[in-house]
Amino acid sequence: MKSFSYAKVATAEEAAGLLKQRNTRLIAGGTDLLGLMKERLIEPDRLVDVNGIAQLRGITATKENFRVGALTTLAELAAHQATPLIIKEALADAATPQLRNMATVGGNLVQRNRCWYFRSAEHRCWLKGGPRCLAVDGDNRYHAIYGEGECRQVTPSDLAPALIALDATVVMRTDEGEDSLPLAQLYVAPTARHRREHAVGDDDLILAVRIGGDALRRHATYLKFMERATWQFAVVSVAASARLVEGRAQDVRIVAGAVANIPWRVKAAEDLLAGEKIDDARALAVAERFVRDARPLRDNAYKVAVLRELVRRAVLRLKD
Amino acid sequence: MPSARVVKNRTEFEGKIYEELALVQGADIPAWSADAELRHVGRSRLRVDGPQRVSGRARYTTDLMLPGMLHARVVRSPHPHARVIRVDAKRALALAGVRSVVDRTSAPELFDEEVHYVGAPVAVVVGETEEIAADAAHLVEIEYESLPFVVDLEEAIADRTRVQRKESYSRGDARRGFREADIVVDARYTTSTQLHNCLEPHGAVAQWDGERLTLWESTQAMFDVRKGVAKAIRARLDDVRVICDYMGGGFGSKLGHGHYSEIAAVLAKRLGRPIRCVMDRREENLVTGNRSATVQRVRVGATKDGKLTALEHVAWSGTGTEDGWVASTTGPSNGLYEVANVRSEQFLVLTNTGPFSAFRAPGYVEGTFALESAMDELADKLALDPLALRRKNYAKLDPQSGKHYSLKRLDQCYSRGAELAGWSRRKAGGTAGRHAYLRRGMGVSTQVWGGGGGPPAYATIHLNADGTAIVRAGLQDIGSGTKTAIAQIAAEELSLPLERVRLSIGETDAPYGPASGGSMTTASLGPAVRLAAVDVRRQLLEVAAGLMEVRASEIHLTDGHAVAGRGGKKLALDEVFSKLQNYTVIGRGSRHPNPEDVRLRSFGAHFAEVEVDIRTGAVRVLKIVAVHQIGRIVNPLNAKSQVEGGVTQALGYAVSEGRVLDRLSGHVMNANLEDYKIPTVKDVPDIVVEFVPDLDRRANNLGGIGLGEPPIIPTAAAIANAVANACGARVRTLPITPARVLEALRR
Repeated sequence: MKSFSYAKVATAEEAAGLLKQRNTRLIAGGTDLLGLMKERLIEPDRLVDVNGIAQLRGITATKENFRVGALTTLAELAAHQATPLIIKEALADAATPQLRNMATVGGNLVQRNRCWYFRSAEHRCWLKGGPRCLAVDGDNRYHAIYGEGECRQVTPSDLAPALIALDATVVMRTDEGEDSLPLAQLYVAPTARHRREHAVGDDDLILAVRIGGDALRRHATYLKFMERATWQFAVVSVAASARLVEGRAQDVRIVAGAVANIPWRVKAAEDLLAGEKIDDARALAVAERFVRDARPLRDNAYKVAVLRELVRRAVLRLKD
Repeated sequence: MPSARVVKNRTEFEGKIYEELALVQGADIPAWSADAELRHVGRSRLRVDGPQRVSGRARYTTDLMLPGMLHARVVRSPHPHARVIRVDAKRALALAGVRSVVDRTSAPELFDEEVHYVGAPVAVVVGETEEIAADAAHLVEIEYESLPFVVDLEEAIADRTRVQRKESYSRGDARRGFREADIVVDARYTTSTQLHNCLEPHGAVAQWDGERLTLWESTQAMFDVRKGVAKAIRARLDDVRVICDYMGGGFGSKLGHGHYSEIAAVLAKRLGRPIRCVMDRREENLVTGNRSATVQRVRVGATKDGKLTALEHVAWSGTGTEDGWVASTTGPSNGLYEVANVRSEQFLVLTNTGPFSAFRAPGYVEGTFALESAMDELADKLALDPLALRRKNYAKLDPQSGKHYSLKRLDQCYSRGAELAGWSRRKAGGTAGRHAYLRRGMGVSTQVWGGGGGPPAYATIHLNADGTAIVRAGLQDIGSGTKTAIAQIAAEELSLPLERVRLSIGETDAPYGPASGGSMTTASLGPAVRLAAVDVRRQLLEVAAGLMEVRASEIHLTDGHAVAGRGGKKLALDEVFSKLQNYTVIGRGSRHPNPEDVRLRSFGAHFAEVEVDIRTGAVRVLKIVAVHQIGRIVNPLNAKSQVEGGVTQALGYAVSEGRVLDRLSGHVMNANLEDYKIPTVKDVPDIVVEFVPDLDRRANNLGGIGLGEPPIIPTAAAIANAVANACGARVRTLPITPARVLEALRR
C-alpha cells in the first residue's frame, strides 16, 4: 500500500474542506477502501477519517420517517427495532458479521463493484480507463445480464436494492450545499466520460438515508442468491415491495441487484402486478416479464433462470 | 544394544508403491490385542497442544521475528509465458529501507530467464519491513518479451507437445471384456483445479551462524526440506537444521522445500542477516501448488445382472509447469473393484499455470469422482440399487496383486453407513422436498487408499528422574494431532499420565521421522515410539526388580506401579524414580518393515443426502455419513475431527471451489478467499462419523493405519450421485455449481 497522510475530523464542514484537496479520500468503515488501496487500485495521498462526526451516526425513527445516519454500521442498522424487515433481510446475508460491524451504510451504497477484472491490479479494464471491457470475452459468469453500456460490472450492494424498493432518498452534502435525491438516482451506468458506478464525487459526503412513511407500511422482501451459504456478494438479488389494498398490489417495486451496472427495475413487470391480486400465475407472469429483455453473456445464462425464480418467489412473498 | 539391520520394505505413498531399503533395530512386537486393557490408546484425548493453539501462544513460522531480520518479497511475472529482458531496480533501491534487489543477473541460481506462468518469480526485494519490501517490489521495472501460452486444459490436451503418458496399467483383456458386456457406460468427467489455501501461508525464515544454517519453515517434511536446501546451497546435511514447531496446514503442498526457502537461505548468507520470506494469500493461490484439473474418460461394461466385465479409465491431469510427476487419477479404477479386464492410462498435460503439487489423496480424489459417478450411471441403466452394484463387484482380494488385504471391512462400511444414512429411504428418482421445486436425493461412494506407512522412522524416549518422559522424534505435527497420538502411545507403554509425556519434535537434529503426508505419519512413527517406550519400560522394570528383589520377568507395570505377579509386592514408580537421582533411562525404537504377504489399504464409504432447487440449480448438502476402516483408532476424538475436516474440504471441491483462469491473459481471477469459495461454517452439513472397530493387526504393532487422506476421497462422488438421484441431473463436472445443475436438468 502506498503511504498516505491521515486526518481525523469532527464535523462535516471540516471534512468537506479537507476533501477538496487533491487525491484525497474519505474513510469511514474502510472495508472497501482499504481493499482498493492494498490492491493499489487507488493510491490516495490523504485520508480523511469521518468516524468522529457524531451527527452522521445513529437512527431516528417515527411512524412517518426512518432516517439512518451514513456512519451507522450495517450491524447497528440490522439490530435496530424500527429497521424495516426488508432491510434486515438484506443485511442478514450481507458480507460477514465482522464486516457488518465495520462497514457503514454510506460506504455500502458507494462501494466499488466486484468484477474480477476491475479488482485485478494487473488488468486494465474499460472502467479503469482501458480500451474495452475484459469480461465480454473473458470469464463472465458473474457479470451483467442487462444493459447496453461497454462495462459489464454489476452492483454489489445488498442494501441498495432493498432501500430503492422502499423509495429511499439519500441526503448529501455537495459543493452546492445539502441536497436530497432519490437513492435510485445515485446509480448511473458508467459512460466513456464518467467511468464510475455512481454519481457521488470523491469530495461529496453522504449524510443520511431516509425512508418516508408510506413506504414503511409496504409489504417488502429481499432474496439473495449465493453459491455458498454466506460470505459472497450476490450472484442475483431481488428486492420487492408493494402496498396491498384489498388484496391487490399497489406501488409495486421490484429491484434486482447484481444483474446490471445499476440496481435494475423493469417497469413493465411492475405494471403487470399493479392493481392485481397476487397468485402463482401472476407471480410467474411478472417474473417472465422481468427477464424477457435479459441478454446474458456466454457464461451467465443461469443468472436469468435464477433471477426469474427470485422475482417469482419475492412477488409471492408480498402476499404475507 | 539391539543390533541394526537393513531390510527391504514396500510403502504406499500418495497412491504409488515405493520399494526402499530401511535400517531397523531389534525386533518388533505384536499389536495390542482387541481385549488389551488400554488406558490411553483408543481413548479420546484433547490435543496436548490445544491450549497453545487456541490461545495464540503457539509460534508458527510466520510469527517468527528475529533481531535484525529482513523481509524478502518476490517480484512475480504478470505474463503466463515470457522472456525476461531486463530488470531495473533503480527506483526500488531508492526507497528508504530497501536493502537489496536480486534478479537472475545477480543470482542465477534463484531465477530463470524464461517464465512459464503468471506468478513465476523474476526478482526478490529485501527490505527492513514487510511493507517496505512490498512497496519496493512494485517499483522494480521489468521488461518482458511475451511468448505464446496455453492455460486451458482442454486446449492443451489438443496440443501433443504438451501431453506425456506417465502411467499405464492393464489386466486381462479390456476389449474382450467390453464385448462380453450387456451394457456399457461411456462417460467423460472433468474436475476443476482445487487450491490448498492453507491457513498458514508457505514460508521460511533463515539464519546463519558461520557455516550453519537454521531454517524455520512451515513444512510437512522437515527432512526433505533439509535435503533439498542442502543440495541447493551445496551445504552438508549437518550444516542445515530445519525447525517446524507449529504448523498451520499443508495438505500436500508443503512436502518439500520451496523457492522461498532458497531465497531466505541464499540471501541471509549474502546479507549477513536473518531473512524472512513468507507468501501472501495471492501467492498462496498462484505459486504454492494445487490439485490438478482433470479430464477423464471412464468406460464400464457389465452383464445384465451387474457383474463388471471391463473397466477403462483414461485421465489427463493438468500439472501446470510441473513436468516431473502426475497424481494417480486412475488408481481407484485399477484397484477398487473385482473386474477381470482393466485398462488405464494417465497423462500429464503441461499448461502455463502454476505448478501442481500433492493435495490430500492426490489423484484418488479426482479419479474416485469419475469412477464412482460412472458406477452410479451404470446402476441407473441396470435399474440396480447403487449399493447392490458395488457389493456385487466387491474385491475380496487385492485385484492388482492378488494378495489378501491385512484387513478389509468395506462391506461393514457399506452396511453401517447405509443404516446411519437411512439408505432404505432412498427412492429411484428422489423424493419431494418442502416445495415443489425442491428435490431430495441420496448417493453413495467408496474410498480406497494406502496409508500403511513404513520405515524409516525412529524415536528415542528419555525417562527423567522425576518420572517424566521426553519423546524425541523427527516429527512435525501439521495440525492433524499427531503429537497427541504419539504422546498417547508413549504414555500407554510407560504407564504414565499423558501430561507426564512431553514431546521434543519439530526439528531435524532429532532421529529421522517421515513426512507428514500419504496418511502415514502415525502408522510410520507410532510403532517406533511404542518400541522405544517398551525399551524404557524393560529397563525400568529391571531397576524395579532389583529394588523389589524379584526377577524382572516376574513384575509388570500397571497404573504407575511395578507389581510382582506372585505375592502381590508393589512398588510405586515414583519411588523408583526418586532412587534413580540423575540417571536418564534412554529407550530406542525403530519402525519395522510391512508384511510382504498382504496389502495394507484403508477403506470407507460416504453417503450424502442433498436437496436440489431445480429452478435455481442450488445444491444444499444436508448430511454426510462417513464410515471408515483403518484398524485401531489411537484417538477417536481426533479421528472424528480428521474426518470432518476431510469431508469439509471435499464439500468445497464438490460444490464451490475451483480456480478460475482467464484464458486471454492467463491470470488466476479468484486468487483470494473472497472469490475462491471454501465452505463456510454455515455450509458444512451434519457429518456423522463412524469407524469399523476391527483391528488391522498385521499392519504394524499399533494395529491401525492412517486416516489423513481417506475422508476427502469419496465425498464428491457421493454428492454428485445424490444430486442425480434427487432430480435426474447428472453433473459430470466439478464443482457442481447452480449453472451446471441447470444445464444438466435441461439435457
